[in-house]
Amino acid sequence: MNSHPEGKNKTLTRRGFLKMSGAAAAGLGLSGILSDIIWLPDAIAALPVSEGYLLVDTKKCQGCLSCMLACSLVHEGVENLSLARIQVLQNAFEKWPDDLAIEQCRQCVAPACVTACPTGALHADAHFGQVRTVTKAKCIGCGSCIRACPYRPAGMVWNPALRQTRKCDLCADAPYHWDKAGGGPRGKQACVDVCPVKAIAFTRVIPEQQGDKGYKVNLRGAAWKKWKYPTEES
Amino acid sequence: MEVSDGGVMNGYTGKILRIHLTDRKITTISTSRYEQWVGGHGMGSAIFFDLVKDKTIDGFHPANVITLMTSPLSGTLAPAAGGRTEVQGIGVQSYPIGWFTRSNFGGRFSAMLKYAGWDGIVLEGRANRPVWIDIRNAKVVIQDCQPLALWGQDTKACQEIIRHYVSGDKSAKDWFAPAENEGERTTQEPAILAIGPAGENLSRMACLIHDAAHGSGQGGFGAVWGAKNLKAVSVIGTGDIHVHDPKALLAARLEQTRQYAFSPDDKIRFSAPSGFHLPPLPGVLWGHPPGAGRPREAQRPQACVGCHSGCRARFKSGLGNGAICFTTLFYGSANSPDIQRQASDLLNRYGLNAHEMIYCDRYLAELHDRGVLGPGKAIDCPLDFNDHGSLAFVTRLVRMIACRNDGNGRPHDFGTTLAEGVVRAAKKWGRLDDDLKTGLLPFPFWGLPVHKEPAAQLEWGWGTLLGDRDINEHDFDWIKFDLLIARAYGRKPRVPAEDLVKIISDKMEPFQGDERMLDFSTANMYSKHMAKLVSWHRYYTRFWKQSALFCDWRWADFVNENAPGKIGSTGHAEPKFLNAVTGKNMTFLDGINLGRRIWNLDHAIWTLQGRHRRLVHFADYAYDVASNAEGLRRIYMPGTENGQWTYMDVRGRTFDRQKVEEFKTRFYKLQGWDTASGYPTRRTLTSLGLGYVADELEKAGRLGSEAS
Repeated sequence: MNSHPEGKNKTLTRRGFLKMSGAAAAGLGLSGILSDIIWLPDAIAALPVSEGYLLVDTKKCQGCLSCMLACSLVHEGVENLSLARIQVLQNAFEKWPDDLAIEQCRQCVAPACVTACPTGALHADAHFGQVRTVTKAKCIGCGSCIRACPYRPAGMVWNPALRQTRKCDLCADAPYHWDKAGGGPRGKQACVDVCPVKAIAFTRVIPEQQGDKGYKVNLRGAAWKKWKYPTEES
Repeated sequence: MEVSDGGVMNGYTGKILRIHLTDRKITTISTSRYEQWVGGHGMGSAIFFDLVKDKTIDGFHPANVITLMTSPLSGTLAPAAGGRTEVQGIGVQSYPIGWFTRSNFGGRFSAMLKYAGWDGIVLEGRANRPVWIDIRNAKVVIQDCQPLALWGQDTKACQEIIRHYVSGDKSAKDWFAPAENEGERTTQEPAILAIGPAGENLSRMACLIHDAAHGSGQGGFGAVWGAKNLKAVSVIGTGDIHVHDPKALLAARLEQTRQYAFSPDDKIRFSAPSGFHLPPLPGVLWGHPPGAGRPREAQRPQACVGCHSGCRARFKSGLGNGAICFTTLFYGSANSPDIQRQASDLLNRYGLNAHEMIYCDRYLAELHDRGVLGPGKAIDCPLDFNDHGSLAFVTRLVRMIACRNDGNGRPHDFGTTLAEGVVRAAKKWGRLDDDLKTGLLPFPFWGLPVHKEPAAQLEWGWGTLLGDRDINEHDFDWIKFDLLIARAYGRKPRVPAEDLVKIISDKMEPFQGDERMLDFSTANMYSKHMAKLVSWHRYYTRFWKQSALFCDWRWADFVNENAPGKIGSTGHAEPKFLNAVTGKNMTFLDGINLGRRIWNLDHAIWTLQGRHRRLVHFADYAYDVASNAEGLRRIYMPGTENGQWTYMDVRGRTFDRQKVEEFKTRFYKLQGWDTASGYPTRRTLTSLGLGYVADELEKAGRLGSEAS
C-alpha cells in the first residue's frame, strides 16, 4: 500500500471517496483533504491522488487542435497529433455539440493503467504532485495500460519510434517546456495556456470520478455570452 | 538545404509527392531541390515552371500541372498559419486567357499532409477513368472511384464515403492504425479535398472543397480536376514535423496571443471582419443587410489547425456549418436566412465558386427583369423567376450549372452555356461587350467578377489587373470597415489617419517611410507612390501569405487594438515564427525580396502564356460608369487633402484611360520590366536568380527590351 510522502494519511473506502469527490466537484474544496487520503482494501488501486486535473469544455472548443500541437511540442519537441496526450476528435459535418469530443487523461483516483502496468513504469509521481506518469526506463511497451484504460480514445499515447507508452503528466516531464518554473500540478500546462478560447482548465479539486460530468464542464463565461455563443448547458 | 540535427529538415518532411495520373506513376521530388522558395506558392510556381514545358496549353490539357503545397508552418502552432494549402496551375476561369493562377484553402489538409510525410502534391496527366488518391503516411494508392461509387457524389457524400473507407468502423472513436501498421495510430479523420458534380462536369466555376466548407474557389480548379478524372485526395498521417526550436515556438505563440490577440476581457468597440486581434466570431454574412443574419441558434467557433481565432462556426442545426464570406453572401434574395444557409451548403456540396455564383444569380435576375431571359425568351432559361428566393429555385440553379442541364436532369443548353462561366455565357448570348460597357456585368478584369471597387480600393484594383485573379487579400480592406462602423456608431476612428499611415508605412520595407503609398486620394491614384504600394502588396502576399501561408483573414497585423501604441506585430512576428520552426535566419525584408522573386516568376509565366501590356486594361465600364459593387454608402480610405491626412470617401470614382496607361508604365519601370510590352527583362530576372526563366522567354520571343 502506498502512503502519502508527507504522512498525515487518512483512510477512506472507494465508495466513500466517490461520494466525497462529487461533493468536491460541487465546490466544497476537498482537495486539501483528499490529497492526504489513501485507499482501503476495496479500492481498485491504492494511490495518493493527483494534485491536479484537466477539465475541458467540449461545447466551447473551436477545434483548432492547438492543445494537441502544444502537447507534442513541449513533450517531444515535434508537432505530431498522434503523440498528443490530449485528443480532440471532430467531424465538420456534424451538428453542434456532437461534432466534437475531447478526451484528456483524467489522472484517475483509481487509475486502471497504473494497476495494469506489469513493471511499475506507470506510477504516481511523488516528486510531481502524484501525477500519473510513465518512468521511461521501466516501460517495456507491452500496451497493458492502453488496454486497461476505460476511456475511448485511451489516454495513453503510443510512441512508435520508442515503442513505449506515454501519458499526460500535466507537463511535469516536458523537456521543451517554455517556462522556467516548468510544469506539473504546481507549474504550467501547455494545453491550458495555449487554448485560445480557454476551453481547458486546470484544477486541484478532484473531479467527480463517475461518468463525464466531473471532467467535461462548462467553462463558458461572460465573454462567451458577449460573443453570442451559448453559455447554458441546455 | 537547411539541415538540422540528424539530417532532418526542420519544418519540412523532405519529400514532395508526384503523381502522374495518365500512367499511374507515383514518384517523389526532394523538397530540398525547391527549398530556396521556402514553401507554398514559391515552390508551386517553381515546380510548375520546371514541369510544364509548354506554358501556352489550356487548363484542361492533361499536361497542366496542379500543385498542392504546404509551408514549413503548416501543422504547427504558428498562429493563423498552420492550416492553409496553396493550389496552383493553369486555371480555366479567367478570360480571354486562363492564366496560371492560385487559390488557397484552410482546414486540416496541409497539416495532415505534413504529418503523412509530404510537403506537397504535384498532379500531372489524366487518368483513363475516375480515380481518387488514398494517402496514408508513406502508402499512396491511386484508387478507382467505381468500387466506392464516388463519381457523381457531392463533396459531402464523397468525403463521408472515403472517411468510412479509411477509418473503418470508428463508432468507438478510438485510436486506429490507418496504414495497417499498428504502431502508426491516430484518432483523427482523414483530410479530404474533393470535387462535386460541378468539377466532374467541367464547369469553369467548379472549386475544390475540404471538410464542410473550406473551398479553393478561384481558378476553376474543380474543373481541372474533373478533366484529369480526379475526384478526391484523401490524406491521413501520424508522423512528426520537426521543429528547430520547440521552446521558442511555444513561447512565441503564447507571447503573440497574449500581446496581440483578443482576450475574453476585451471591450471590443467595433471591428472589421478581418484582423489578428479579433475574437473567434464567424464571418457569416447571411441576411439583410449582409451579416445581420448570424444564426441565433447554439454554435461553436470553428478554426483551422493551429489558429488562435476561428472565423467559422458549426451550428446546432448543422445548416451552413463552416461557411463564411462569399459563400454566405450567395442568394441574398432568399426568402429567409435559413434558405440562404441551405444555398451556401448547396454551393459547397455541388462544388461551385461562390464569388462568381453571386454575380451569376444577380445577372440572370437582371436579364429576366429586362425581359430577355426566361422560358422561351431570347435567352431560353427554364428557371421560374416568380419563384426566385425559394429553395427550389436556387437548388435548380446550382444543379443546372453543376450538371450542365436544366437543373432537373434533362438536357438543356442553358445549363451547358452557363457552366462555361458568366462571361463566356454572355459572349455566347451576344451581350458581353455591351454589358461590360454598361457595367451590367461587373466583371472589371480578366473576365472575373468584381469584389472590392477597383477605383476605390486601389491596391485591390491594381493588384488584380496586374495579376491573374481577384487578389482577395484583406491587408488594407479593414480600414474602410473600421471607419464605416465607427461612423455608424458616432465614434472616433481607431486611430487618426496620420497615425495610421505612419504605423503601416513604417512596416513596408523596403519602401518604409513613404506615407503617400497610402494616399488613396484621386490625385494619387496613378502615382509612383501608388505603384510602390501595389508592388509591396504583391511581394508581401506572394511570400508571407501565399508561400509561408499566413492566413489572409488574420494577417497582416498592422494596427492592433490590443498592442502598445496600437502598433501591430507585422514585420517582426512573421519571421519569428518561420525561424523558430525552420532554423533559418530570415528577416521580414528577406521575405519581401523573395516575394518579389516569386512575383517575377509568375509574371514570366503569364508572359509565356501570352500576356502583353495591351491586354492589361479594365473592362470599359470601369472607365465610364461609377459603380458600387459592395453596395456600401461610403468607402473611407486614408488620403491627403490640402496637405493634411484625413479619411476620405473614395466611392464612385472611375479610371482614366490615359492615366491607367501612365500608371502601367510607372509600375513596369518599378519592376524593371519592358515598359513597351510589359515583358520581363533579362537584367531584372538575372538579378533575381532567374536567368533560366529569361532563357525560356527569349526562346519564346517574349523577353523584354532593356532599352526602356
